[in-house]
Amino acid sequence: MLDSLSQLYLPGAVTMWCALFFGLAAFYGYTRARHGDHDTLAFARRGYLFFTLSIVLGSLVLALCLMRRDFRIEYVYQYSGLDLPFHFQLAAFWAGQKGSFLIWLLFGVLLGVPLSRSAGRAEPTVMAVYILTLFGLLFILVRENPFVMLAETPVDGTGLNPLLQDDWMVIHPPVMFIGYAAGAIPFAFAAAAMWRRDTSTWVNRAFPWTLGGFLVLGTAILMGGYWAYKTLGWGGYWGWDPVENASLIPWLLGTVLIHGMYLERTKGRYRRANLVIACLLYLSVLYGTFLTRSGVLADFSVHSFVDLGISRFLLLWMGFFLFASLYLLVTRLSKVETNTNEDPLLSRGLGLVLSTVVVTVSAVLVTVGTSAPLLTRFQENPAQVGPEWYNKVHLPLAILVGLLLALIPFLTWKGTPASELLRKLVPSLGVALAITAVAAISGVEQPFHLLYVFLAGAALAANLQKVITMARAGGLANAGGYLAHVGVGIMLLGVLASSAYDQSAKVTLEQGVPRQVGDDLTLTFERYVPRQGREKEHMEVRVARDDGFTYLARPKFFLNDRSRQLMVNPDVKNTLLRDFYISPIQYEPGQPPGVDHRMQLGRGETTTAGDLTIRFVDFNLSDTGDPQLALADGGLVTLGADLEVRSGDGEAVSVTALYRFSSGGQVQTPPVELPGGGMIAMTGINPGVGKVQLDVAGIGSVPQKARLSLDVTRKPLIKMVWYGLYVVLAGGLLSTWKRYKTARLIDAKTA
Amino acid sequence: MKTKHVYYLIGGLLLVVFAGFSYTEFQGALTPYVPYDVAREAERTVQVAGGLDKGSSSYDEAQGYLRFTLIEAETSETIQVRYDGVKPANFEDAVSIVAIGRFDAEQNEFAAKQLLVKCPSKYQGLESVETKTYG
Repeated sequence: MLDSLSQLYLPGAVTMWCALFFGLAAFYGYTRARHGDHDTLAFARRGYLFFTLSIVLGSLVLALCLMRRDFRIEYVYQYSGLDLPFHFQLAAFWAGQKGSFLIWLLFGVLLGVPLSRSAGRAEPTVMAVYILTLFGLLFILVRENPFVMLAETPVDGTGLNPLLQDDWMVIHPPVMFIGYAAGAIPFAFAAAAMWRRDTSTWVNRAFPWTLGGFLVLGTAILMGGYWAYKTLGWGGYWGWDPVENASLIPWLLGTVLIHGMYLERTKGRYRRANLVIACLLYLSVLYGTFLTRSGVLADFSVHSFVDLGISRFLLLWMGFFLFASLYLLVTRLSKVETNTNEDPLLSRGLGLVLSTVVVTVSAVLVTVGTSAPLLTRFQENPAQVGPEWYNKVHLPLAILVGLLLALIPFLTWKGTPASELLRKLVPSLGVALAITAVAAISGVEQPFHLLYVFLAGAALAANLQKVITMARAGGLANAGGYLAHVGVGIMLLGVLASSAYDQSAKVTLEQGVPRQVGDDLTLTFERYVPRQGREKEHMEVRVARDDGFTYLARPKFFLNDRSRQLMVNPDVKNTLLRDFYISPIQYEPGQPPGVDHRMQLGRGETTTAGDLTIRFVDFNLSDTGDPQLALADGGLVTLGADLEVRSGDGEAVSVTALYRFSSGGQVQTPPVELPGGGMIAMTGINPGVGKVQLDVAGIGSVPQKARLSLDVTRKPLIKMVWYGLYVVLAGGLLSTWKRYKTARLIDAKTA
Repeated sequence: MKTKHVYYLIGGLLLVVFAGFSYTEFQGALTPYVPYDVAREAERTVQVAGGLDKGSSSYDEAQGYLRFTLIEAETSETIQVRYDGVKPANFEDAVSIVAIGRFDAEQNEFAAKQLLVKCPSKYQGLESVETKTYG
């Protein structure tokens, strides 16, 4: 329902309505301009400009309200608070459903500006479809307006969820939403091409956009994995959680589309398939949004949102584009001319086709797995599948990917004879054998894992060889694809090593007592460090390896100020070959040696504490020296008290308690252990009447030391996962640049 | 037969085999949501949900287990759960916990491999952000 006017913050709400108005105008203008009318085109462009401005303005209003902590506005009240530092106030923008739809829409309209410039003569149809994709988001925001006001103005907001108060919260979600927004672009090109019945050139213009979207989404996924691993303490970078999968599926389909576009650009193949894949890519974005935003997976996901009452609308949105895509594909596809070459077995064409099939199968499996709760809904009990299933079915796929990536660099379109291929593969196979040998020595035994390592190593080496050859010939700019595949090889190795060969141990440490963990690690819980300023309270744990390598781990265990939730941060130590991942499990502060008995005794007096009998015999000045001299130097003066302590009917034991003080007011009262447990300390002295104050603690029981329970995990080669992905993205960046230039070149020719 | 058809045949066969493999594994890996009494009898991995019985959680240092009791809100049934992973953040404040694992009849407790923890409604506007632990 639309909220009544008085409940809305008008400066913000008006921008949403304006956006709707201008968006419709632009959509109308672009559909009318598709036959080449320049005036209508100018009208449509102006409409889009105002559409964009409205959304930018609306976002600025929301951001300003968050900055000003205007708690009249419900959204600000729900996600912000007085205690939030500046950058989290900004991040509160995308902490909730409404705001995250708004930022998605914001990036969507902004991307539309360069998109309209790059679409050339296809601009009217491409933009009409693109605006249609933005309407889904806009309708949600008009319906569920982020500018709803509260009846009364609260003094403080409820604050940002402590789990989200992390620096990654500032950057990860916006990048993710740029990636989602870019997912609509290949679809806009493809659908517009089918609408115009001219599917011959769309790929050329859509190619750099698809690569760019793939890059941004990949970066967002990398950041999310890093966040989960480093600070959330989830133990891993990937958990096959529905929300993670919702971003992975479009990314996998983006990978397929990139390769399909490559095939179309170079060999005129996949003309039909690319249209289908572009539609699927966008539909997967919508499906992922439906799964994670509608609340259907609420019981199955780490971070799915509760239902805002928009699930029906999300279904409608998805249904609309599903049927629109189906209609276009059914009516247009059969008329698309495509090359169907006869590929010999060992040819580049067949290799590429197979790669797209393998990645598509992966995307399908992830979709099916994520949908398990929906698929089983009508059975007895809804069910989900755990990470094991995903890992199991992806092992054969990863092996195939390794095989294909190792072969393709040396295959030609016409086909390469087996003997020649083998000869060219010799260096890579050598490297792969060496890597496999190292793996086998390091404890990899399972035959499938060895095969995986061998092929991933071969893929890495083969593509690296190709990159080097091309770079030497001065063609590094064209080697983006090979570079990306070097990264895939590195990643494959890192994923297997860090997830299948991690070693984990749980240990409980007593403060100050070293304990051995695993074969060669010794851990000592040194101390608990209280909060200092913005530095959270944490533990200091000394980690020492037998070979002398040592460091101080600082796992955190702290209470969030506002919610009193107990928060956990792991400590991660990167070394060349492995990460040491230390998560706190439990902290027992122990019994601080508090004062059990306090007594004042004059010289020669006797008293009892528990079953102890204590007599103050005399002062002991043997360590005192010249007090005047010591005080003048600022040093400590030591006074002693000779005591006679008897436990029950036992022998009397003599102990000397010490009291040290300086002129600066510094006092030390070192406790002395008593026979039969417990401590005694001289905590005060009254020289005038010759009395001492004694504190006795923990008699009859040993004082409990603080204990810290930890999970210590060694993750081998996890760095290769990150570095591999960096290399993939670097390769993608090179290719994006190259395809962007090609698209510009063809534009210049046709203009 | 053209070479192309041979490829399609082989490729199709491989796909069918792989689909069969994935499907069987899928059926085996499904973890249905079940009531406690069903979970006690189940021979497979299942998931149970409930509220945390406040004050019931303790950490077994010797074995490295977290133990706690879940209460089914409607029936007030309870089940004891042990978990050998790292205790999720804000566990104590959870309004609802999902435990995935299987019942250990010898110890008479549910051995969880994975926990999903739902955050409190202290944040009225909060879309329940949950945590879990995974390896």
